[in-house]
Amino acid sequence: MKTAHLLQMTDSTFPVGTFSFSNGLETASHMGIVHDANTLEQYTRSVARQGAFSDGVAALLAYRATNAGNPDEVENIDRELMLFKMNDEARMMLQRMGKKLAELGVKLFPDCEIMSKWLTDIKEGKTPGTYPVAQGIAFAAAGLSEEDLFASHQYGVINMVLSAALRCVRVSHYDTQLILQRLCAESDALFEEAREMTFEDMNSFVPEMDIFASLHEKGNMRMFMN
Amino acid sequence: MAFPETYEYTDVEIVSFDKAKEMKPYLTKPRAMYVGAPGKHGYLRLGFELDADGKSILRDLDRRVPLIVQQELYFDEELPGMPCVYILSSGGPNIDGDRYRQIFTLKKDSMAFISTGAATKLAKMQDNYSGMLQTIQLDEGAYLEYLPEPIIPHANTRFISDTQLVVHPTATVFYSEIFMGGRKYHGDGELFQYDILSICSHGERPDGTPLFREKFIIDPKKENIRDIGIMHGFDIFANVLVMTPEENIQPIYDAVEAFYDPKLKLAAGITHLPNNAGLLFKVLGMETGPVKKVVREFCSKVRQQVKGKPLPPEFPWR
Repeated sequence: MKTAHLLQMTDSTFPVGTFSFSNGLETASHMGIVHDANTLEQYTRSVARQGAFSDGVAALLAYRATNAGNPDEVENIDRELMLFKMNDEARMMLQRMGKKLAELGVKLFPDCEIMSKWLTDIKEGKTPGTYPVAQGIAFAAAGLSEEDLFASHQYGVINMVLSAALRCVRVSHYDTQLILQRLCAESDALFEEAREMTFEDMNSFVPEMDIFASLHEKGNMRMFMN
Repeated sequence: MAFPETYEYTDVEIVSFDKAKEMKPYLTKPRAMYVGAPGKHGYLRLGFELDADGKSILRDLDRRVPLIVQQELYFDEELPGMPCVYILSSGGPNIDGDRYRQIFTLKKDSMAFISTGAATKLAKMQDNYSGMLQTIQLDEGAYLEYLPEPIIPHANTRFISDTQLVVHPTATVFYSEIFMGGRKYHGDGELFQYDILSICSHGERPDGTPLFREKFIIDPKKENIRDIGIMHGFDIFANVLVMTPEENIQPIYDAVEAFYDPKLKLAAGITHLPNNAGLLFKVLGMETGPVKKVVREFCSKVRQQVKGKPLPPEFPWR
């Protein structure tokens, strides 16, 4: 059952809305910067690394707080993660997906008190309700491991970019599957670092990607929501 | 005579980043002068306020070598009432085991411009690291432009900084930093050969309400710094934080263009900080001149919105 939960929550059809976000890829592709398998792999690797040391860390911390039965700490992590999100669209995406997973989570894990309290607090505006925190709670509720959570988180981030790439970059399914396999293999090393981190250590350095996101926010080329 | 282990002569607050995980590999005791030795533990406190005539002045100044400031000057032709201060270091580049503490305070309705006299060079380090702890506090209606010259990290250097911005909702701070990839024209070129830059800036209100936290760690020996999305083909990165009253945010955002020019190899983007704290502006480029120009143009738009004046043209020798 645990494996089934892992597959279910990692599946790209899991209804949290990942399909609508391209993480700035659309702009990079429109400008011809990401134009083939090699450039797509580089870009996706940057997204994955950034995700690991920010959202990935928050997911792990929320997982531990849930297992420790500490709802206040879960919400503290939720707020800290929002302080770290430097982009309107990223904040919107995180909250939209977080709330969807919370709504689904209370049905999938009706015994998880932290999930139901968290959803109530999201609705009352007491906590922002970010997706990585939702993932942390859900994986704890499903009895899955930290490794499972991190692998699933990274898979989700990588797959989101690659799925979008099939629609806006000249690459084949063979290309994207090979990139997915290689980048997921690199997740193990990222996990070793991320598992030791707290908020103080959360970091992100993707200035070119930040500029793509800004161009997208200011521009009018829109096929995806960010 | 036996030399003291650490800090024996420091009469100001001790700065240490020894607990930061990313600095763990760099905690060896320097073989040269010890951490905290006189001249290696800089301290600078600048306090601006209005005098009885309502003029902004540098009222409070305390310092320890190697940090020096000259007397405040009023050279800004667009804002002639604004005191301008250059921070200098009598010690040359930052070297192994250097620690710095800077505290800038602007009282109600005062304004100031702070810069550095020259680029901050971070020399090669073998044992330890250099670090800077900053606190910038702005009271009601205060206005600060912090536009230092670029930071140049030499091969194998290590630098960590933590900047706390405590800003009243009616005040404006323009806080910019320009990071070069290295000594681009040294020998065959020395780009991204440093060990680590760890830069953290966090904003809060005077009552302690946290607003945002930005931290980036650049570790060129560990990550693919030249990958698309990170530095890609660019050599210089500028990061600008603007905290300003809510009503200024959207007009500034609208006045600033995001662009990516592959021919000029210059790009810039702007985004909103969390909690309506202000704006975050990033620039990528190849040479300091064009990057500084983009940062100054952005500053001019901020000043226009807040003070109704543009930035004057840069001095030709800067």
